[in-house]
Amino acid sequence: MWRTNLKVLGLTVVVLGFYTGIGHIIPQLESDVPEVLAFGADVTPEALVAAGERVFHGAGACTACHGTGTRAPNLLADHGGEGQIGARCGTRVAGLSCKDYLHQSMIEPGAHVVPGFDNIMPDARRQIPEDQIWAIVAFLESLGGEVTVTSEDLPSPGAAAAPGAPTAAGAPAAFSATVDGETLVREKGCVACHVLDGVGAPIGPPFDGMGRRLTADQIRRGILDPNAEIAAGYEQFAGMMPATFADQLSAAQLEAIVRYLGGRR
Amino acid sequence: MTDLSLPLSLLQAAAESTREYGHFPGIGGRGAVWIAAEVHLMFAAFVLGVPMFAVITELIGIVGKDQRYDRLSKEFTRLLVFAYSATALWGALLLFFLTTLYPRFWGHMAEIFELSMWIYAGLFFIESFTLYLYYYGWDRWKYGRAKWGHWGLGILLNVWGTSVMFIANGWLTYMMSPPAGMTAETLPAEVGLWNAIANATWMPINIHRLIANAVFGGAIVAAYAGYRFLAARTDEERAHYDWMGYVGNFIAISTFIVLPFAGYWLGREIYEYNQQMGITMMGGFMSWLWIVQAVLIGVLFLAANYYLWLGMGRIPGAERFAPYTKWMLLLLIICWMVWATPHTMIASREEVAAMGGSHHPFLNVLGVMSAKNTAVNLMILTTFLSFLMYRRANKLPTVPWARSGTLAQGVMFGIAAAVVLFYGVYGYFVEAIVRIGFSVYQVLAVVMCIIGVTVIDILLGRGAESRGEIRWGQMPDRSQYALFVLAVTFTWLMGLMGFARSGIRQHWHVWEVMRDTSPQAATPALGYAANMITVCVVIFLSLVAFIFWLGGLAERTAGVQPAVVFPAGPGIGSSPGAPVPPTRVAGG
Repeated sequence: MWRTNLKVLGLTVVVLGFYTGIGHIIPQLESDVPEVLAFGADVTPEALVAAGERVFHGAGACTACHGTGTRAPNLLADHGGEGQIGARCGTRVAGLSCKDYLHQSMIEPGAHVVPGFDNIMPDARRQIPEDQIWAIVAFLESLGGEVTVTSEDLPSPGAAAAPGAPTAAGAPAAFSATVDGETLVREKGCVACHVLDGVGAPIGPPFDGMGRRLTADQIRRGILDPNAEIAAGYEQFAGMMPATFADQLSAAQLEAIVRYLGGRR
Repeated sequence: MTDLSLPLSLLQAAAESTREYGHFPGIGGRGAVWIAAEVHLMFAAFVLGVPMFAVITELIGIVGKDQRYDRLSKEFTRLLVFAYSATALWGALLLFFLTTLYPRFWGHMAEIFELSMWIYAGLFFIESFTLYLYYYGWDRWKYGRAKWGHWGLGILLNVWGTSVMFIANGWLTYMMSPPAGMTAETLPAEVGLWNAIANATWMPINIHRLIANAVFGGAIVAAYAGYRFLAARTDEERAHYDWMGYVGNFIAISTFIVLPFAGYWLGREIYEYNQQMGITMMGGFMSWLWIVQAVLIGVLFLAANYYLWLGMGRIPGAERFAPYTKWMLLLLIICWMVWATPHTMIASREEVAAMGGSHHPFLNVLGVMSAKNTAVNLMILTTFLSFLMYRRANKLPTVPWARSGTLAQGVMFGIAAAVVLFYGVYGYFVEAIVRIGFSVYQVLAVVMCIIGVTVIDILLGRGAESRGEIRWGQMPDRSQYALFVLAVTFTWLMGLMGFARSGIRQHWHVWEVMRDTSPQAATPALGYAANMITVCVVIFLSLVAFIFWLGGLAERTAGVQPAVVFPAGPGIGSSPGAPVPPTRVAGG
């Protein structure tokens, strides 16, 4: 009986080893995570090209279509005898520079579909942040052409990144662009603990009628230092509200929330 | 509604106020959830797949008045009772991992799906009690109307199990294909429950998993029978488990042949939902995964055919088919090689330069869909031919049109193969959009052949003379090892497909709605995935072996012996490839 058991075990190990081995001998491709790149005002074309190439082959997943020439024009090699993309992009659409053509093709893919291909490309902004899009443009320009992307094309630091995009350190983007109080209250998840319009869990004082109960200053302090003073009746939830909003909100956003909650009478 | 949602809202609020991700030592949070989810899924597939043919075999036993099938069905169900606990335990482990390691994500899911989660838990209870009633009431409700009532319990067991699976599929498919128009700014409270569940990939996954569960259940039961065959001490036991292994394998392979069509539908829906996701899956960083899949499926076809060819050794009259098997083997291997040929691969600039273009000059020709579709359809036809030879082995048709009937079957095979080859070659000379349509003609030709040949074969079998009884139990041991290869391969394949389905979301918990910002957000390469899949398979198979051992222990304690009764009852072997009782040939 033990002999049979060992045979079964041995066969199982061999089969599993075979499949695991196959998994290791094929090319090892990972799907990268887009990061917000930190480009200073003195960024060089070489730095942009290098970053763009990394995104093109990595998080951008551009090669899935643009590296084959079957689903979309091959941007890495010659296409249709017109040379690489950097050489042909400036003549694709009359009146559009190479840089503008490439950028527009990424954020409005349906605008200039190359004849013979379907309009299957998604808006790149849904997947990667704006600075990475410009880095890719620089990389594509470098393939047979001149790099014209400069730091002036890049979004200013602190501007809105792609939704929920992580920073280079892997932390979520800290600032949302909006300064609308109600949007911010919902976006920051406040309604998970504060009743708004009769909806939500009563873990913290309700937002409904907050303007009648508290002054603007009290609301502001409650957001910035939520555990300094616990509202009566909510003692058992003390410490649950994050004390991190001072770091997450801009001054304008904080005031927008204070105004919005103060207005809820 | 507000009162009911409070506890989950509290959990979510607590999660949001604390942290986004937990830490798991060694393999990290992703690894822990990966293993818990995959092993849970493997057990779930088993406990959902086995009841399907438990009720079918019980019905065959009732209608055909054949105790063999009734006992076989009960034996399946006994395995279920033990496997069910393991399914629940791994499910609980998965839940704890998700709530502690991915609290923000879990809060999001709970806010949208809370009602369905409660229904899920309720159905799980009902399903458990139905299973216990079904198994423990087996001998009490064995005869007359009570037996039909008992069979009804089996149907209910399937209804509950399928409902549970459909609900859970709603959660995971939401992560792949959330409702159109949903963005990162959309609040969970704004998402309707039904909209979230009935998303673009929900029904294709439901159907795909339903079929895959039957395949998986059949393969595991066949492996169980294989082990019991090897461990058998009497000829009767060997005969019983030989037959049981054959039935399990027959169910696994016959349902497996249908699976690619469900997979095709799922793939099409993914493309329809999001082109980028579809391209990532088939031609992006996951493109090599399909080569690995082709290797596995090739092994499945080879092992299944090998088992059938060996099985023909115990059927008098099968010798006349033996010369053909080497040619069938050759065809299978050629088709396998074509199917496993890579085509559209991500290539670096250096690789493109080395190949002289974006595609390999020679492999480019074989790696396209025309060649692959042709190869797959020929493999299916070859496997069906093996089943047919097995079924016909000991029959001597006596109907006056026997010769022309057999000729008609041969013509059908010829036409199907010709259609498959014609469109396979013609596909090289047309546009891609036209070529895609050709695969439908190829599949239709194969399906029509299978149906037509089967109908003729059933009619040919009426009143057929026997060339001799099947000598159940007289199988070489190596045939049973083929069953193990099938079970291990099916299990590994399930892990691989799970990685494909989950991995195409890349760094999104919920596609383009909730980003994964954890340190393990990047979807790993296939080498790492292969390690994880192997770990999951080892855990699952080890536990299954333990469960089977427990089952044997319970059997010995209760003094149960596998009954080996081969009555001369009619009708049980009338479907293609079904086991034939030794006292008469199939048919009637």
